[in-house]
Amino acid sequence: MKGNVIKYDRDNIDTDVIIPGQYLKVHDYAELATHAMEGLDPDFHSKVKEGDFILSGKNFGSGSSREHAPIALSHSGVKAILALSFARIFYRNSVDGAFLLPIEIGQDAYDGISDGDELDIDISTNEIKNLTTNQSYKMKPFSEIIGKIIEAGGLFKYKPELN
Amino acid sequence: MGKTLFEKIWESHIVVEKQNEPALIYIDRHLVHEVTSPQAFDGLRMNDRKVRRPDLTIATMDHNVPTSDRSLPILDQTSAIQIKTLEKNCEDFGIKLFDINSPNQGIVHVIGPQLGITLPGSTIVCGDSHTSTHGAFGALALGIGTSEVEHVLASQTLWLEKPKTFEVRVEGKRKNPHAVTAKDIILSIIKNIGTAGGTGTVIEYRGEGITDLSMEQRMTICNMSIEGGARAGLIAPDQKTFDYLRNREYTPKNYESLVDYWKENLKTDPDATFDKTFVLDINEIAPQVSWGTNPGMTCDVDESIPSPDEFSNGDANQKKGAEKALEYMALDSGTLIEDIKIDRVFIGSCTNARLEDLIEASKVIQGQKVAPNVNAMVVPGSQMVKKQAEEMGLDKIFIDANFEWREAGCSMCLGMNPDILSPGERCASTSNRNFEGRQGNGGRTHLVSPVMAAAAAINGHFVDVRKLNLN
Repeated sequence: MKGNVIKYDRDNIDTDVIIPGQYLKVHDYAELATHAMEGLDPDFHSKVKEGDFILSGKNFGSGSSREHAPIALSHSGVKAILALSFARIFYRNSVDGAFLLPIEIGQDAYDGISDGDELDIDISTNEIKNLTTNQSYKMKPFSEIIGKIIEAGGLFKYKPELN
Repeated sequence: MGKTLFEKIWESHIVVEKQNEPALIYIDRHLVHEVTSPQAFDGLRMNDRKVRRPDLTIATMDHNVPTSDRSLPILDQTSAIQIKTLEKNCEDFGIKLFDINSPNQGIVHVIGPQLGITLPGSTIVCGDSHTSTHGAFGALALGIGTSEVEHVLASQTLWLEKPKTFEVRVEGKRKNPHAVTAKDIILSIIKNIGTAGGTGTVIEYRGEGITDLSMEQRMTICNMSIEGGARAGLIAPDQKTFDYLRNREYTPKNYESLVDYWKENLKTDPDATFDKTFVLDINEIAPQVSWGTNPGMTCDVDESIPSPDEFSNGDANQKKGAEKALEYMALDSGTLIEDIKIDRVFIGSCTNARLEDLIEASKVIQGQKVAPNVNAMVVPGSQMVKKQAEEMGLDKIFIDANFEWREAGCSMCLGMNPDILSPGERCASTSNRNFEGRQGNGGRTHLVSPVMAAAAAINGHFVDVRKLNLN
């Protein structure tokens, strides 16, 4: 999985800046995507490209349970969020609907990857290659549980015999 | 070895659990509102599924309902559609709905307990992060996303990773419990553990500082567990809990035998251990006011705003966060909290819009007027709270002081209905989140207790409410 990084060098990016409350009435995902990150970065929609990654600090996605947050990012083209840590509801929402991959990284990757860098991420080997600097980093492996839901392609495809 | 309260509730709800796999957990109550449910119902229709237990599913509309005159049509068309959609979904799937004209309408986390729907030892979910509120009754209450809402509608179960356990022990007694409130206790806890301090855990609040609290105050504590990053907050039920839920509209008929069972089973064993512990001594804590853009950025009312260096303790991102927060909030380090002037006051939300909150706030304002240039509003948490307050004459006290007295809903807590801040406006708010833009684009939020919000409305700035006569 290859893509370029949009880096937000801060902690606690919350769901209200990812998709402000006024847009929770919007049901059209393409329209929702035009407001992604609007609370923090009004230029996001014009700069994001299909396949991009977001890189940020601790506690990404804190706050509301709105699934609109990973949906808005995913429909903007974002394939994965790389962060030092995640708030749990955002993390599960990202995986449950197979919207995007929430990837936990270490301080080395956080410090070593800059805005605009091109990465190649392989979740089967947990390797993040920075193609711009030729450095490699390890992502924190998904827990077995989360890995199984990702592998299945979301909550409703996991254990279909029980669903 | 003994078990914690959380472990007991978890184990009694396991449908399937295998090592290194998620556990399938049975859900006793599912609360539904208009914002996080439409796609879930669409999903059911697409897959030709029914709601498995409509009798355990309860819906209301709270997030985007107008709080002004309800005899008028809803002007915001997208809100009107979302509200109509919930009506249709409830009708199609046979779900009990407290609609906009119901005397039981209100914020979902206010109506659950007051109707006796929230019960000790049960599992409760809702597509809303503040579902943690119901933990005040000893229920395992989790906020979930829309995919999970659909999964619960279809199966009455959820695949969950087992959370870790976090003991927050609150010791001591507050010197002035009218001025130093449950809100100040939970803000003090979050200030100390941080906004991610509880990530992946269920917090159990224990100790004299918790058992001393009323049920409504305990709800304020558990409500903000999510602001400390936790999956849920829990308080072991006791006589106050059992008395609160007796004789409510939906209290089960075999209530007394349930109480006997709860007394026996719903407590953490003396020899149980927690994955981690934090202790807060509340003998000396002060009223709290948030100054930044997350609930951890909070200080005592008699302090001044910290510098980013003081706040961050050497953490580069924390420092940057504090700098950005001060810029957004248009505040300088070193400014005394009591010198911060406000434009708006919002007394409302699932955190602090219950009857006791309104009683306490009314004591501060009785016989006084809201400061010139301040616009203040009270949005009761439910129509039942509103009615009870009106029976006590609280509405007159607020209206005489020039507060607006509104209909029930989430309102200015999250800026989905017309109750929003204008860019640059500064609000003393009894809600739970001070995120950038939360109460309206460019709006500036200070999280406080109802007593502090009322005092700020009268004075036009924050004041040390310990100096007021509140008894």
